[in-house]
Amino acid sequence: MTATQLQTPVLKPTNPWAKRNRARVRDVIIASIVPAILAAAIFFGGNAIGWSMDAAVVLVLGFLPLQLISAFLVGKKYYGSHGKEDALLIVVTIFLSTFVMVLLLSVLWSVITAGAVALSPQFIFQNSHYISGTTSLEYGGAGHAIIGTVLAVAIATILTVPLGFGIAVYLTETGGKSRGLIRTLVQAMSGLPSVVSGLFIYSILVILHVQPTGFSGSLALLPLMLPTVARVSEEALRLVPVDLRNGALALGSPTWQAFAKVVFPAAKNGLLTAVLLGVARIVGETAPLVLTTQYNNDTNLNPFNGPMAMLPTFIFGFIRNMYDTSIQRGWGGCLVIMILVGVLFVGARVANRKKK
Amino acid sequence: MVETLLTENNAASHLEARGVNVWFGQRHVLQDVNLVFPSNQVTALIGPSGCGKSTFIRTLNRMHELIPSAGFAGEILLDGKDIYAEGTDAVDVRLRVGMVFQKPNPFPTMSIRENVLAGLRLTGKKNSNHDELVETSLRRASIWNEVKDRLNDPALSLSGGQQQRLCIARSLAMDPAVLLMDEPCSALDPGSTRRVEETIEELADQMTIVIVTHNMQQAQRVSHQTAFFLSEDGNPGGVVEFGTTEQVFNQPIDPRTNDYVNGHFG
Repeated sequence: MTATQLQTPVLKPTNPWAKRNRARVRDVIIASIVPAILAAAIFFGGNAIGWSMDAAVVLVLGFLPLQLISAFLVGKKYYGSHGKEDALLIVVTIFLSTFVMVLLLSVLWSVITAGAVALSPQFIFQNSHYISGTTSLEYGGAGHAIIGTVLAVAIATILTVPLGFGIAVYLTETGGKSRGLIRTLVQAMSGLPSVVSGLFIYSILVILHVQPTGFSGSLALLPLMLPTVARVSEEALRLVPVDLRNGALALGSPTWQAFAKVVFPAAKNGLLTAVLLGVARIVGETAPLVLTTQYNNDTNLNPFNGPMAMLPTFIFGFIRNMYDTSIQRGWGGCLVIMILVGVLFVGARVANRKKK
Repeated sequence: MVETLLTENNAASHLEARGVNVWFGQRHVLQDVNLVFPSNQVTALIGPSGCGKSTFIRTLNRMHELIPSAGFAGEILLDGKDIYAEGTDAVDVRLRVGMVFQKPNPFPTMSIRENVLAGLRLTGKKNSNHDELVETSLRRASIWNEVKDRLNDPALSLSGGQQQRLCIARSLAMDPAVLLMDEPCSALDPGSTRRVEETIEELADQMTIVIVTHNMQQAQRVSHQTAFFLSEDGNPGGVVEFGTTEQVFNQPIDPRTNDYVNGHFG
């Protein structure tokens, strides 16, 4: 050995915190497997002797308590009194998140598998003219409804976003006296049943003797989108540190400039989220549209004239027919909405990131 | 709008507080503060936490009124004119009386260069030579050498000490007649603190400076005069002693000042 080797012993990076005690690993594995086996035994054994049991019930009432007990015992054995609480927390978190994840993924999976049957280029580009409930899926599509949804949601967004931002600015940037009242009203609005919003606009159409159009649908969507946009952007603006606002004002900036050039840009991500959540809130709404845009099997590019098809009313119209092909068209419509929202969200995020 | 307060030249201003009282809601936090800040002098405000120093300094550029429950009585005379007089715009006051905050607050969506120019953008003030203004401001805040090659990097990529000096540069770009500093070094390491102190000494040639500090050595190093604030037993805070730094630290008249500057309480 040379002197230099002695002076610089070779050090390799290690993760001492990751060292595992074999006995502990074994016990954790046992504690995870045994409850699952017991629960499975109860489920299959019970069904075999004639108790008809629901898998979800066994999961919640059988597996979860067993898993909690075993985790409790292992936690206590290896980590003492604080270990049992940690173990319970871990089990509950993993169980509940998996449970919710499975529910959501199964919904997603149903829509994808059932919708994929109807999905084809012609389903996206064609309208439903000449299509009846029993027409084969090779003909017709939801193109007219996609156009309708995009137009009506875009108009609703253009109308709602300035209002929502305005409310948020009033609530956060001003010392206005009716802030409490406005906040309460906005909160109350978020509980408004969507059909009420549709009926309200419909009653106006009836009083004014006006025909339903895409625009009246946008108006019916507005009260549903407004609370989401206003509340989420209020939170986004509230997150901007008061130091930034003061920094701008201390430079001699007028209040409006401080808001427009410092606070608003700092809150931009949150405000974008507010708009996206607002769009997500209304894009699948059916009840307010049934009366205010009505059904249309044709493409209507003018939101100010005549009934306009929307994806939700397209779905609703077809699944009411009860024929297999129409129900499949409905599933296809569901999948198209989900893809539309996905594309919109990803697109908005990417565009926002590029600008930075 | 500007002729009421803005002077033609960029000389330092004489600032005076007369009978200043401050409330938050019904709580009286400052009572009868009378201080004079002569031009080109550095004044240190010292005192234990919660005695009203920061509150007082915020009345000097009308930042105090941004707190919803704020109340105020008295006069702040900037070159003889009361900044709280009717018809005086707070925005004009802040154009002349700049402020550096305790925590660095660079604008996160702007680059280093944009931060220095933020004042111009926000106030619509004109300056023909942006590059020169950026360089002189950053030089005066002694940060130019560290950032001259990365002016377009985001301001948040700087360290805390650099951010604070950037904020000083941002205030200097507006060429204020008075600069208020509210514990500007409380979040800084000793090296950055020393550089900020050097900056203060250089700036005193061009402007009037008021600095709040908890650091007795710093007060002695940078200031010409010192005011000792104290708030006792829930009474409103006030100035216990005011004089040259030399006198306040070495021959204090009030025994409480002596105790405080020698670290016996607070």
